[in-house]
Order: sequence, then structure tokens, then C-alpha cells
Amino acid sequence: MSRRRLRLLLFVPVAAVLAGVLMWGLVGLPSFGSPPHAYAAYLLKHEVGQRHVTNIPSAIVFDYRGWDTLGEELILFTSVMGTALLLRRGREDTGERPRDKAASAAVRHAGAFLVPVVLLLGIWTVSYGYLTPGGGFQGGLICSGAALFLWIAGSYRLHRGLTPTPLVDAAEGSGAAAYIATGLAALAAGQAFLAGFLPSGTVGSLLSGGTIALLNWATGLEVAAAGVLIFHEFLEEYIQTVPNPSPRQEER
Amino acid sequence: MADASTLVPLTVAVPLITAALLAAVSRWIPRRGPDLAALAAAVAVTVMSVALVVATRDTPIVYWFGGWHPVRGVALGIDFVVEPAGASLAALSGVIAVASLVFSWRYFEEVGHLYHTLVLTLLAGMVGFSLSGDLFNIFVWLELMSVAAYALCGYQIHQSGVVQGALTFAVLNTIGTLTLLMGIALVYGRTGALNLAQIGESLHGHPPGGPVIVAFTLITAGLLVKAGAVPFHFWLADAYTVVPAPVGALFAGVMSDLAYHTFARVYWDGFSDALAAHRDAVRDALLVLAVASILVGAVMALLEAELKRQVAFATVANGGLVLAGIALLTPRGLGGATMLVVVDGLLKAALFLLIAAIIQWLDGGDELLLHGRGRRRGGVLPGVLLAACGLGFALVPPFGPFLGTALAVDAAGRPWLTAVAACGAAATGAVFLRAAARIFLGWGPREDPAITREPTESREGEPEFQPNDDWKRVGHRIIMLAPPTVLVIAGYVLSLVPGVADWFTSVAHGITTPHRTAEYVLSGHLPPLPPLPHSHGHYAPGGSAWACAAGSLIGSVLLAAASLWWQRLGRVVRRVLLVPVAALKSVHDGAVGDYTLWFATGVAALGAVWTLTLR
Amino acid sequence: MIDVVQIVVLTFVALLGVAVVACRDTLRQVMVNGMFGLSLVVLFTVFEAPDVAISMAVVSNVAYPMLLLATIYRTRGRGADERERE
Repeated sequence: MSRRRLRLLLFVPVAAVLAGVLMWGLVGLPSFGSPPHAYAAYLLKHEVGQRHVTNIPSAIVFDYRGWDTLGEELILFTSVMGTALLLRRGREDTGERPRDKAASAAVRHAGAFLVPVVLLLGIWTVSYGYLTPGGGFQGGLICSGAALFLWIAGSYRLHRGLTPTPLVDAAEGSGAAAYIATGLAALAAGQAFLAGFLPSGTVGSLLSGGTIALLNWATGLEVAAAGVLIFHEFLEEYIQTVPNPSPRQEER
Repeated sequence: MADASTLVPLTVAVPLITAALLAAVSRWIPRRGPDLAALAAAVAVTVMSVALVVATRDTPIVYWFGGWHPVRGVALGIDFVVEPAGASLAALSGVIAVASLVFSWRYFEEVGHLYHTLVLTLLAGMVGFSLSGDLFNIFVWLELMSVAAYALCGYQIHQSGVVQGALTFAVLNTIGTLTLLMGIALVYGRTGALNLAQIGESLHGHPPGGPVIVAFTLITAGLLVKAGAVPFHFWLADAYTVVPAPVGALFAGVMSDLAYHTFARVYWDGFSDALAAHRDAVRDALLVLAVASILVGAVMALLEAELKRQVAFATVANGGLVLAGIALLTPRGLGGATMLVVVDGLLKAALFLLIAAIIQWLDGGDELLLHGRGRRRGGVLPGVLLAACGLGFALVPPFGPFLGTALAVDAAGRPWLTAVAACGAAATGAVFLRAAARIFLGWGPREDPAITREPTESREGEPEFQPNDDWKRVGHRIIMLAPPTVLVIAGYVLSLVPGVADWFTSVAHGITTPHRTAEYVLSGHLPPLPPLPHSHGHYAPGGSAWACAAGSLIGSVLLAAASLWWQRLGRVVRRVLLVPVAALKSVHDGAVGDYTLWFATGVAALGAVWTLTLR
Repeated sequence: MIDVVQIVVLTFVALLGVAVVACRDTLRQVMVNGMFGLSLVVLFTVFEAPDVAISMAVVSNVAYPMLLLATIYRTRGRGADERERE
């Protein structure tokens, strides 16, 4: 009681000061909608000419600032490794997997229809990522969502059976490695790390972008696999709360 | 192609691709495969970083990823600015990672590829963090090393204390990195630039204004959380207590102090020009934090019985000294700080590995619990190493920590700062002298109300093993004690290299002349380095340095003795001493909410002071 | 330079953000957080950042709730077990 009060008593003035300081900082910023900074102006003018890619954010993400994306991709990779380390070590052996099944017929049928649609949507988002909004990260996540639908509409066994962990592990590692390897290939070609050493292709076609396309696909693979692995680990945790081996819910 | 700049991306790419490939093929390679691959990658990073230190001794290397050179002063891509200080910190990360991996070889019962993957990404993050010249890129590497560190910290997740400590670590550090990110967003909003050189140039010649001051506050606070400066240090002790020792060596040896160095680079490259008229205000605020860190860290270290917590608070105190060196805003101060980061880093890493060996050998990591247990065959080397670390922290001349501290206090020329530094060094030295005396000589009583903590698992964070089992084998002892021995020797010998103090000063001089670097980064033209002001040939420690060392050496011996036998004083004195001790300890209570409140208070205070003084 | 749609969206984001914090029941919080995520998707779309909007849509409405729900069930389950044992 007294400790809680003391905390509040301290927090209120502190929060007030913090809010004041932050406001003071924000108020001084250029107003909304003011003309773009030099960097944005340069990219708007020159990007398509330089990199032949119509979705400028993709060109920034996979080329101009591709080194950041490498780091970010590895952050995702590391988080998955870390999650696996923490959850696998904290878990007792589960034994048999439950024979759960989606309860309602509506969910089963809608889900069965949705799995291929979502997967296709994901692959489409990756492949057109450098032409229209989207890209490896977004598309990869959508693909991993399709794997999740396997569980929602089907069963846990189906979900794990169709996404075998050794394969997904390998896919995740190779996706991350492929990104770095593309950078190294540029180095081997005598250019700077991650430089666009491949021909840039025709503007507006799927064959444009050169290394951007490669890096985009590498990211898509890595993110999709990372998503599936995280779902594996967390579902495995959830599954432990399901009475074993009786079904998740009685079918009526 | 064969020039040294090719090494720049490889220092980060090699550990990362090794980690990724390990994850991809782990199922199909033999058990020692991950060990060997990780070790090879860490050795490669070390060798490349040392090569970069040599290659950049005259001119820094600016590496543009993707080959995107700036156009008319606008940075299009991301650059690494490799100068000797950053490269030597990368080398330090590599050395400690190698030592830690060698040590892990025998330390864990079963260790899959996940551990090695995470150590490698942690290493890559630290290298990128110390070399990057782009503010957002710095954030990316900080985040990479943080994520790896959270997971490694919780390695022994089934122990309840570990969950608590790792969670505190993750929560506080996430708040810190988000604060940093907010600061970066404000800078970007104000300047449209993320490149440090470009930020510095675009702020040049204008009054700083609200966004810049607030951004500087947020960036400072964000980085100081990682560095563990008071009042942002609370997570440190809880995390260090539960981290497995080989990883702890990386935490204490490099990770924390790297943030100080990055802070220095961000300040000089990005903000020093904009805040040039207010140098005093910047310096005074930072000095207050530094002094608070030295004092709180030193006192708290003395009040802990658990060896890992002692290292944690010693890290806070040493970090305070580093921050004091930086806060002087002079080349010599920064040189001393950088040298301290390297030398103290080696000693602290050695200390952590040594503690791990002691825990495994004597079955406990609490100095009261271990009272006299080290008095047996094989106890000489660990005891000597522990005392050597203590003496090193107590500034025994002419070795490493002494020289670094000497540079800083001589540069300061402020008697009170010399006194504070001496107190801090005396206390951190006394802690490990006391521990060595108690464990390996059996001095002092077995119980001490001032330093006990409520009972917890005595080996938090460490793997289960049968004590004494492997220790009888000589090979095992060698592999456990060789890494700390090498690190201690390296820490001591480094300062005997002729001209090393001058080298660190001249390196720091390069960092403190941001215009020159900025011109090199943005236009590729490197102006000549202006001569170092007040430079009189070779550096020799001055009067305040010797006074500081004498004070801290005598003080540490006296303090060690006093803290061993203080209970012989009368009952009244005991009561009087125990009250403030209990109060100070209750502040470090392990509650995340309280720690967050302290963090918010720190940011608010810093923000209020700087908004009032810097405009 | 700011138009009505933007003001409406910003207001929604602010309100839902507060609602997430104000929510005490974790399960309910997951739902409210999903709605908050959706409001951010709309915000990013309105402010012409479709790439971010797509990421946000998938993260805040598929991946993140999934992780939260699994965690909630797991921790509640464990807590219930311990209570029964005691």
C-alpha cells in the first residue's frame, strides 16, 4: 500500500515533466506535409532510373539501406533462435501429440478453402514486392499465416506434419544465409558488399531489380520459416494445456 | 580488392553467415561442429579487427555498403567509419568471444547449436555497434545484440531466479532501446538524415532548438541504459546474477562499456557542433551521472556477497569512470576512457570466467558460503588471479587501469574528481581482495549481516554438475583456467606497450575532431589532423594520477580489511552502519516497476536540466 | 495540410491505444489490441505507407494475437495446476 502510493506520488510529477519535455521536442519539428528532405527528394527523382524498381520503399529496404535490412533479418532470426532456446529448454517432454480437430464444420470448410488462398496471397506479395507495395517481409509473414490456418482449420498433427521442423529450420537458416551470401557475391564480383552487381532489368517487370529481387526472395523465405517456427514453439506450449490425448473439444 | 576495406563488411558478415548456416545444417553435423565453427568465426573476427586497427592508424576507413557514396553531402546508403578506437573495441569483443567459447567447450553439459548461434549474433551485433556511422544502423546492431543477450541470459530458464533476472533485463533494455529510437526519430524529423556525419553537418551553425535537445536527451538515456549508468543501472545486477558465466564475460567485458564509446561517437559526430556553446552544461550533467555511478557502484559492490553481483556493481563503478573520462569532452579524457574500456573489459571478462571456474570447483558463488573452501590443492592460481583482478581495479601502477585512469584524472585537473575516482577504485579493488582473502585464505568471519542477501539458489544461471568431479583432471583445469589467465595477463601487459597512452589519446583526438571525419565521410576528402592542444611529447602520469593511485591502493587494502572485520566494532557503530546499508539495498529490490520508475525519473531529470540549460 | 480523415484516424488510434492499456482482463486485451492494430493499419494506409500497413495487418492480427493467446493459455493452465496441487 505505502510502497504503491509512494510510486504513484513519484510517478505523477515525473510523467508530467517527461511529457513536457517530449512535447517541447515535438513542437519544434517541421510541420506536417512540409516539403521532403533532401534524401527523399533525391530518391523520388533518381531511384527508378538507378534501380529500375517501381516500389521505392523496396529499393530503400533492399538496396540503399540493404545493410540495415540484413541486420533486421538477423534480429528476427536471432529472436527465433532465442525463443527456441528458451522454450525448448523450459519444456518437459510432451510425449504424444493430441488428436485435436477443429470443432465446427464451418471453420473446417472455410479454413480448407483459405489455406491455399492465403499461401498464394503471400507468395504474390513477395514476388511483386518490388513493383507494388509488399515485399519479402510482408509476404513471408502471410505465408506463415497459411501454416497457422492448417492448425485452425485442420489439426495440430496436420500443422506439424505439413511443416516438418527440420525442413523449416533449414529454410530459416538458408534464407538468412542467402541474404548474406548475396552481399558476399557482390564483394567477390569486385564491388562493395551488397552492391547491385546483377543487371537491373526492365522497369515494371518481374525481372527488374537484380539483387533486389534476390534479397527480396531470401527475406521472404527467412521470414516465412521464422514465422512458422515461432508458431511451432508457441503452439507446442499451448498444446500442453490441452488434455492429452482426448480431442480439443467434443464434437456434437 | 585486396585492400583492407574489404575486411570491414566481413567483420560482421562472417559471424552472421556462420550462425545462419549453423542453424540450417545443425542436424547433420557432428557434435563438436558448432563449437569449432563458432570458434573459427570468432577468431576470424578478432584477426580482421586487429588488421583494421593496424590499417587505420593513419587514416580512417569509410565503407559504404552497396557502394552508395553520398551525393552532394546527402548520404544515400549506410557507412561504417572504422577508426582505431572502434576497431580495437571490435577486436576486444572478438578476443572475449574466443575466450568465452573456449571456456564453454567444457562448461555446459549439453549445448546445442542454438547457444553458438546466439553467441555469434551477439558478437556480430557488438562489432557492428562499435563501427557503424549511421544512427539507425547503430540501433539495428544494438537491437541484434540485445535480442541475443536476452535469450542467452535466460539460458538456465528452469530456475525461477533466472526468469526474473532475464525478464528484468529484457524489459529495461527494451525501454532503453525504444527511448533511443524515439530520439533517432526526432533527429531524423529535424535533419532528414540518419548518417552521423550528415547530422553533424546539418546541425552546424544553428542554435540547437527543441527537437535536437530532446533527441540528445533521449539518445543519451537510451545508450546509458545499455551502459548501466546510475540511475539506469538497475537491470545490470539482476541480469549478471543469472547469466551463465561464459556469456557474462561478454556482458561485463564488452557489451556494457561499448555503449559508452558509441555515446561518445554519437555526441561528437552528431551533436558536438550544435551544442558547442553549451559544453559546460553537457559536461556537468554527465559528470553528475558519472560520479553517481562510481559511488553507487562502488558501495553496492562492497555490500554484496555474491561474486557475480560484485562484478555487476564493479562494472557500474568502472563505467562511471569511463563516463567521467568522456564527460570531460577532451581528447585526453576520451583517450583514458577508451583505454579503460579495453583494459577493464579484459579484467572483468577474466573475472567472470574465473568465477565460473570457482563455482564449478567449489560448488557455490557466494563468498560467505565459500569461506575458506579455497584452501586446498589447486587453489593458488584462482586465488592469485582473483587478487590480481582486485589489485588491477585498485589502480596498481603502472598497469592498465592505472594508466587509463591517470589519463582521465590528469585531463580533468579537478581534485574532487581525482578523489572520487580514487574512492571508486579503492572500493572495487577492495571487493575482490576481500573475496580472495575470504575464500582462499579463510580470513574474516563466516557471517556478515551487511552483505548477505535473502537466500536464493546459490548457483543461479549456471548448469548443473557434480562438483569436484571433473576438476581433478588436469586437462579440464587447464581449459577452465587458461582463458581467464590469458585475459588477466593481457589486461596487465597492454599498458606496458610503449606509447600506448599517447596512442589512445591521438585516437581519441581523431574522434573529437568531427568536422574532419564528416568531410571525409561526405566528400571523400580528408583534411589534415590539427595538432593536439596542450601536448607535451610523451604522456607521463602527473601528480593527481599518482595521488589517485596511492589513495586507491592504500584505501583498497584498508577497506578490504575493514569490511572483513568491521563487526568487531561496537554494537552502536554496527547499528548505525546497517541502517543506510539496508536502505541502499532496498532500492535495488528487483521490482521491474520500480526500476522503470527510476529510469523515467532519470530521463525526466536529464531532460529538464538540458532543456533549461542547452537552449 | 491535415485533413478530416487523418484527424479521425489519429483520434481512433489514440483512443484504442489508451483502451489497450486500460483493459485489465488479458483475453479481452488481446481483442482490443487487435482492434488497435487495425486502426494503425488504417492510419498507415491513410498516411500513404501501404508497405507498413501490410506488415502491420499481418503482425497485429495474425501473428501477435496467436502468440499472446498461446502464452495466456499456457500460463493460466500452469497457474491452475499449481493451485489445484496446493
